[in-house]
Amino acid sequence: MTAVSIKDLGWKYSGRKHFAIEHVDLEIPENSFVSVVGPNEHGKTTLVSCIKGLIPNSFHGVWRGQVEIFGQDVRKMSTERLAADIGFVFADPEAQFTSMTVEEELVFGLENIGLPLNEIQERLNWVCDLTMIGNLLDKSPYEISGGQKQRVAIASVLAMRPRIIILDEPTSMLDPLGKDNIFQILTNIKKDTDLLVIVVEHNIEQIAPLSDLMVLMYDGNIAKAAPPAEFFENSDFLLEHGIIPPQATTFVDRLKQQKLYAGTLPVGLEDAVDITSRVLRNHSAPKN
Amino acid sequence: MDQALPVASTATTRRMRKTLLGTVPVSSPLYQLHPVTRFITLVFLGVVSLFIDVPEINIILIVMVFIYLHWAKVDMSNLKIYLPLTITVAIFMFSVSIGFPSRLPGYHTFQFLGITFYFESLYWTFASYWRLMAMLIGTIQYFSTNRERETLVAIRSLKAPFVITYFFSLALRSAGMFLEDMRTIREAERARGLDETSLALRDRAKLYVMYMIPLFTLAIRRTDEISNALYARGYTPSGKLENGVHRSDYILTKYPIRRIDIIVISAMIITFIMVIILRAQFGIFAVAQSPLRIFLLSLWS
Repeated sequence: MTAVSIKDLGWKYSGRKHFAIEHVDLEIPENSFVSVVGPNEHGKTTLVSCIKGLIPNSFHGVWRGQVEIFGQDVRKMSTERLAADIGFVFADPEAQFTSMTVEEELVFGLENIGLPLNEIQERLNWVCDLTMIGNLLDKSPYEISGGQKQRVAIASVLAMRPRIIILDEPTSMLDPLGKDNIFQILTNIKKDTDLLVIVVEHNIEQIAPLSDLMVLMYDGNIAKAAPPAEFFENSDFLLEHGIIPPQATTFVDRLKQQKLYAGTLPVGLEDAVDITSRVLRNHSAPKN
Repeated sequence: MDQALPVASTATTRRMRKTLLGTVPVSSPLYQLHPVTRFITLVFLGVVSLFIDVPEINIILIVMVFIYLHWAKVDMSNLKIYLPLTITVAIFMFSVSIGFPSRLPGYHTFQFLGITFYFESLYWTFASYWRLMAMLIGTIQYFSTNRERETLVAIRSLKAPFVITYFFSLALRSAGMFLEDMRTIREAERARGLDETSLALRDRAKLYVMYMIPLFTLAIRRTDEISNALYARGYTPSGKLENGVHRSDYILTKYPIRRIDIIVISAMIITFIMVIILRAQFGIFAVAQSPLRIFLLSLWS
């Protein structure tokens, strides 16, 4: 089933001359993992804000086209329905904290959608296990580390068990260890839940192996949308559009250009090692 | 052979809870009381002092607050930072009273260092000072022993409208962020070689005015971010769902009201009512009832 359907979408922020995004068409199936990549200021956040309904509900500007979430026009959905169906994690975790303790932060959204107290407790326990933050409940969200803050931000959205979760550059403000933690959580979400996950991310190396679909936003349009193996086919095109493919992909692409390999491109290191081993075996095998 | 392990001191092993103005051990008996009881204590100490002019009673109230803080295991040494404030208030109040006294006929006067002192005016200042101190120390005890969350729980328990409790919560949050932003801006300036100590007072004042520009810009940005975050998580100012039902309040369930709370709140309410009746009907707690005042006036005759 199609979870998100975008038809000829355009959005121009109030006071700006040009449309931030224009003529965007995209269909995203449910229970998939989508990464939105591209250089800064090319429309990634605008696109996901339109899916979440932040645009046009919280911004002024000119809207064109249509966004449907599970067949419903996003502009006609209530705040409560949008919050229950679509979770949104912002780049700056502090920007989204609304409460004075982690526990309050986690239950804030659950209270807003009117869950009964026993279910709030059950979801709180579940999300603390999933994101490893059970020991932080009594702390202020402003007094924990950057990685912990982002885990709390993700947990607060996950606890609402939305059908879609959008993460807007969730690792942009984290150290390498914090980034790894977030990618581990994303891996867990992909493995343990049936959510549609949409991630805006610059870290191509780590996001590509998780993705079912990769969307390249460039100059307010979708320049390319394809599964990872296909997405990285034309590395020159990607480089021209500000995307550096994963090193594993680039390496195997070189083998392909030298006619040493003819299959699909890998996105993860393990696949690349596997391909390279096969190439080496074929190359060193005695010729009869 | 087994070696004895070093024993950590109680001070280092005791888990502390950060409050609005200090820290309190997690094991403090204070936390047996519901936040609403603690909040009503603040209101009680603030309001009851308004009806009591007798300084001795206000001093007893202050002593009781100190006993309460001791019972709550609050580190009293932290309270030393308020000493300059209490002295400054005293200097200010007594200077005004001595410099610009009430000179009603019949007031007792005495001379000291060539200055005429009006006893009644001076004693009224003395009484007012202790009344103010009782209110101030009551406030300090509340903010030294409670966190933002407990204040919110208290206000919500008193059935304040959701939008007001949330507004209060965001105001508390923004105050901290405003100070944090100011610290960041100042550090950035110092990192680029600004030495505030070398500036004249006028230039320093100018500098503080200049801080307002980035601070307001940041405040506007944060307002935008927080409103998006609230929208994203289904916040509505009324706190009502689409079907008209009120949002749940999970945090309140973490703080059950016990018998001790009912006893303490009832005691405060009864005391408060009695103070009002005694004051209004019988004139008790008026400054004229002060034993010290009566004693000092007896010296004149």
